[in-house]
Amino acid sequence: MKQSKVGFWLFLLPSLLAFTIVVLIPAIWGLGYSLTDWNGISHNVHFVGFQNYKTIFLGDKDFLHAFLFTTLFSFCAVIFINVVGFALALLVTSKVKCSTFMRTVFFMPNLIGGILLGFIWQFIFIQGFGAISKITGIQGFSNWLSDTTTSFWGLLILITWQLSGYMMIIYIAYIQSISNDLIEAAQIDGANYIQRLRKIVIPLVRPAFTIGMFLSLSTCFKLYDQNLALTNGGPYNSTEMLALNIYNTAFKYNDLGLAQAKAVIFLIAVATIGLIQLYFNKKKEAEM
Amino acid sequence: MKITKKWLACIVACMMVCTAFVGCGKSDDSKKASDVDSTTKGDNNAVVSEDSSTDLEGTLDIFQFKVEINDALKAATEKYMKLHPGVKVNLETVGGGDDYGAALRTKMQNSDQPDIYNIGGPQDVKDWNDNLEDLSSEEWIPNVVNGLLDDVSKDSKVFGMPMAIEGYGFIYNKGIFEAAGIDAESLKTFDEIDAAFGKLKEKIDNGDLKDQYQVLEAVIEYPAKEKWVTGMHTSNVAFGQEFANCTEAYNAKELEFTYSNELKDLVDLQVKYTTNADNPSGLNAVDYSMQAGGGLAIERVAVIQQGNWVYPVIKEIDENIADNLGVIPIPLKGVSEGNTPIGVPMYWAVNSQSDDNSKAIAKDFLNWLYQSDEGKNIVIDEFNFIPPFTNYGDLKPADPVGAEISQAATEGTIAPWVFNGCPTSWAENVLGAEIQAYLAGNKTWDEVIDTAKESWKDARK
Repeated sequence: MKQSKVGFWLFLLPSLLAFTIVVLIPAIWGLGYSLTDWNGISHNVHFVGFQNYKTIFLGDKDFLHAFLFTTLFSFCAVIFINVVGFALALLVTSKVKCSTFMRTVFFMPNLIGGILLGFIWQFIFIQGFGAISKITGIQGFSNWLSDTTTSFWGLLILITWQLSGYMMIIYIAYIQSISNDLIEAAQIDGANYIQRLRKIVIPLVRPAFTIGMFLSLSTCFKLYDQNLALTNGGPYNSTEMLALNIYNTAFKYNDLGLAQAKAVIFLIAVATIGLIQLYFNKKKEAEM
Repeated sequence: MKITKKWLACIVACMMVCTAFVGCGKSDDSKKASDVDSTTKGDNNAVVSEDSSTDLEGTLDIFQFKVEINDALKAATEKYMKLHPGVKVNLETVGGGDDYGAALRTKMQNSDQPDIYNIGGPQDVKDWNDNLEDLSSEEWIPNVVNGLLDDVSKDSKVFGMPMAIEGYGFIYNKGIFEAAGIDAESLKTFDEIDAAFGKLKEKIDNGDLKDQYQVLEAVIEYPAKEKWVTGMHTSNVAFGQEFANCTEAYNAKELEFTYSNELKDLVDLQVKYTTNADNPSGLNAVDYSMQAGGGLAIERVAVIQQGNWVYPVIKEIDENIADNLGVIPIPLKGVSEGNTPIGVPMYWAVNSQSDDNSKAIAKDFLNWLYQSDEGKNIVIDEFNFIPPFTNYGDLKPADPVGAEISQAATEGTIAPWVFNGCPTSWAENVLGAEIQAYLAGNKTWDEVIDTAKESWKDARK
């Protein structure tokens, strides 16, 4: 018995060490900086207590806007990514031709870096859509990234395109693990495709929804490079998401203390939302 | 069976722990190795400083932001290394204002601090105070163009060497204006320019220039997406009139924005002659590359509001067009017409935290680059810089844009260049963003100006 306890701690030690060094210590360090007025350069740092937090809660409109924008964006993106991802998974696990090839194609965008993706889509939205609008005369296609609403949709399209392939892989794994007996039995009972989907497939891949939604939610909340490359917060900072706002506070406005305080709030918000969502999804799984 | 499994587990765990420690041990070793390196380097330095009369020896780390000159500067450092075989120069370039600032900050937190880096103006002088070497006893000081050191001087110390003079205005394609029968060289006042642009627009819309310039579709392109173009350069024409230099702007608690209406006229003038004139919000998606490379360089537009730094960009695409460019002074209606804003974009600074040997090399290198005959040629021909020094004699920028701006500098038909003295990020992220909101129809001009003034006051509290 004693031996196994030693073994337990020995096993845990490496990851515990790594976690402490790269997560725990920097987090505590950052918490400390959020209570100072450090500008990122100077050697004399003053302790200002909760002043930075006060500034944020009492009137940082930009941060509030970024927060709301990010929340709205993440909410929409989670739905889009997972619906599209799941649909793609259904498509490539059905008996269509060249489904392996399609899997590769759908997964491909995920292999391209966020900055590059941003610039590719910037080109599509500005030049590509611009050309379409010129040829067809449809005004709806012009100036996508210069308008708040269409910029929002632009970001959403971009992230859905990038992440749904990844989610697809997760869903494929779960869909393939469903025993054929169940499906066949249902077929014999006369259940049509929709009924089979609703009563058998979706309940059985529910754990995958937990993973997919959690992954996409946290990714969207922390989105930075796509945001930077596609809109860079424009027009007039209306599409500035949280990570970009924090970066700008730190390195454009030289207010590292304030940025750190924002980052702490960000961390708490992401953790809370993530945990709540995990809790509800898990609960649903248990009901099964 | 169970026991063996347990043992196996223990062994594996031990191995993992060991590897973890091995990892640490290695990094320790490498640290030690680098320590040794630096100590030997230190010894070398000591040796060198004993007989420094022979030649300089050591390494020089340069960290600079001007991407455009990266290759030419690299070549220059190689020339310098040939002259001083004992010196090893490392050049690192990170482009763009913000990226450079962030990268410099990380660099300075590390042990491998650069010996030479760039600073922008009074704010940087204050921020980097601990890392700035006093350069006031350098040889080149008396040769600097009058007034260019004001923004990097404090308590009779000088902390920066001006990199170049830059200036901006309406850069135009001479060929198109000639074809339209407009004499662009005489254009001075706002109304004259407005009339000339109007005449050109009419000709373009009528298709009079279609034969010669097939893709020409508008008089001007205005990239509101680039907040530095609107918030810094266009706006500087107006708020610059309130201050003599960056330092004055830097010390100002409030901005009056006396000429806000004239600024509106200037913005509207540029909007009016773009393809997006009917729907100005579209300009918020127009960027620098669409304006310069995809605009002026392919003769899609005839004019852009830019500075002499676009010359190499245009030249890369079409040399004939690049060599046929001119500058119309950017006007502030009824206030300052026929004047070109001129200033120093960035300064070279020497890191005071570097060891004495590196500092000596750094100072010698800068002096060589800007004051030796070989260096002067590099600055003019390779960097395409307008020299910020008076002792360049007959050496003048070969490119027509640089030459015209250089001429404006010598003639004194210049306007202030003060945006480096604005509150941190104010010009771009407040004023530039507000102008986007104005173009999108989201805010009135008065709201734009009020927000900008308010934000200036807040930042200076």
